[in-house]
Amino acid sequence: MISREEVLNIANLSKLYLDESEIEGAQKEMDGMISFADEINKIKADCENLPELGGINNAFHDDEIKKSCPQSKILENVDGGKDGYFYIKKFN
Amino acid sequence: MSAQKRGIIKRVNSMLAKKEISCKELTQKYLDEIKKSELNAYISLSEDEAMASAENVDKKISSGEEVDVLAGIPMTLKDNISTSGIETTCASKILRGYRPIYDASAWKTLKDKGAVLLGKTNMDEFAMGSSCENSCIGGAKNPHNTGYVTGGSSGGGASAVAGNIAAYALGSDTGGSIRQPASFCGIVGLKPTYGSVSRYGLIAYGSGFDQIGPLTQTAEDASIIFDAIAGYDPMDSTSNPNYEPNSYESLNNDIKGLKIGIPKEYYDGVDEEVRKPIEEAMKVYESLGAKIEHFSLPEVKYTLPVYYILVCAEAASNLARFDGVRYGYRTEHYKDINEMMCKTRSEGFGAEVKRRILLGNYVLSSGYYDAYYKKAQNLRKVIMSAFYEAFKKYDVLLTPVSPTTAFPANKSYSNPQEIYLADICTVPVNTVGIPGISVPCGFDSKGLPIGMQILGDKFSESKILNVAHKYEIATDYVNNKCLDMGVRL
Repeated sequence: MISREEVLNIANLSKLYLDESEIEGAQKEMDGMISFADEINKIKADCENLPELGGINNAFHDDEIKKSCPQSKILENVDGGKDGYFYIKKFN
Repeated sequence: MSAQKRGIIKRVNSMLAKKEISCKELTQKYLDEIKKSELNAYISLSEDEAMASAENVDKKISSGEEVDVLAGIPMTLKDNISTSGIETTCASKILRGYRPIYDASAWKTLKDKGAVLLGKTNMDEFAMGSSCENSCIGGAKNPHNTGYVTGGSSGGGASAVAGNIAAYALGSDTGGSIRQPASFCGIVGLKPTYGSVSRYGLIAYGSGFDQIGPLTQTAEDASIIFDAIAGYDPMDSTSNPNYEPNSYESLNNDIKGLKIGIPKEYYDGVDEEVRKPIEEAMKVYESLGAKIEHFSLPEVKYTLPVYYILVCAEAASNLARFDGVRYGYRTEHYKDINEMMCKTRSEGFGAEVKRRILLGNYVLSSGYYDAYYKKAQNLRKVIMSAFYEAFKKYDVLLTPVSPTTAFPANKSYSNPQEIYLADICTVPVNTVGIPGISVPCGFDSKGLPIGMQILGDKFSESKILNVAHKYEIATDYVNNKCLDMGVRL
């Protein structure tokens, strides 16, 4: 079973808070999800000698300067921001 | 049920051209019906924009200007498709109030052709779900029986089209999110080949799996929409520069000699009631001169965990951008930047989204990456290779869309994986990147629709649309009936 510490570590990496009452539930749920994912480790398939599938190429584009989005428009979603920046409250 | 003709785009186009109805009148009819509707199909309405587009189309028609077949057709977009200046929430609290500053390419193409956007439709939050019930406004309802789910995640779009409160909808399909709700609601849903329709402006869930596609009354309508939205877009580096779709021209092609493969693993565990009409459809195809051949495709069996590992890993990375700084919801009280982000995300995301982010970061984290993510990537290639081999032998494959018909609303599950099993017949298409179409083929004993799925090789949309259309014509749309609700034309 996935440990409490591991769950808290993954939550931390995910920038998600789990309060005390949620931890045990999350542990159980993640355990279920991991057993489900573990199914793939039972599969015996030859992953080493795969045929070339083709059709996958890098998509390069010309190095041209294109019009970008105006700052004021981007800041519309945060009530206009402040002095051209995204603004969050000050903390120490 | 009534005998109203199926297929709406050409019909509305002709009504508008003959001035039997004005586009403004038609749009108003739809808006009135949406407001009366109890389907919960829409998240938001764009009335002003819709009436302005309608007026524009009316002006063009009255001045004798030639307009596109899609001009003036009232339609809807899933709420994860960006619409400039119109709220786009992905049915999530975290994007409440977010107004994109640009249009998704697929929408821009339709807008330029004069499409009338009625509003944005309901969905599972960030397209994660198979019932539409993981929405921050509650699930959409199935027009065939409102006690049942629409399927998901494009459930709102499917409900709106089946309930005649939109002529067609654009949805997105990452693991079945167009095809499964289309099947549950008795309409047609096309998931195009990965790379055929631009994903620019589609808010990403699993970037290596997502595709935008149409939900329509018929295969003919799907073909018209697909031809309009598919093709190269320099804004999406994964869109194919060499693909110029023209599926409408081949819609009526003869299918004599067509080889249809039936992969037996798709039928394991499928309800008898779902299997029967698909077997009937096989007979219809045989009567049209197609050859049916059963074969084994064992790789299908392990696609589900491979898909969930990869898609959750991509989701965890894609959803890292929602931090409360640049758009959408931001928590009110916080002491530092880390707390602001963590609280914003914990309060803004729903349970299923958090679950998938956690699993995604788990399989990507040091110590587990090789055992899960890397192994799943390799197995994805094995699955792809098996499908490519199958398409050397068969023109198309015929399978169920879902093991069951729509499930009851508010059903409780013992664990989250239980509902993932509903995606077993749809996820292979996204894992391989091929196109698939869901076509109505019957009803169960409760009167709920049943869909069948036609799969084709990469960029063979013309073929699968042709095969779907031939079935609809041969059966005179008997399995694809118009419900007596919404806008009747």
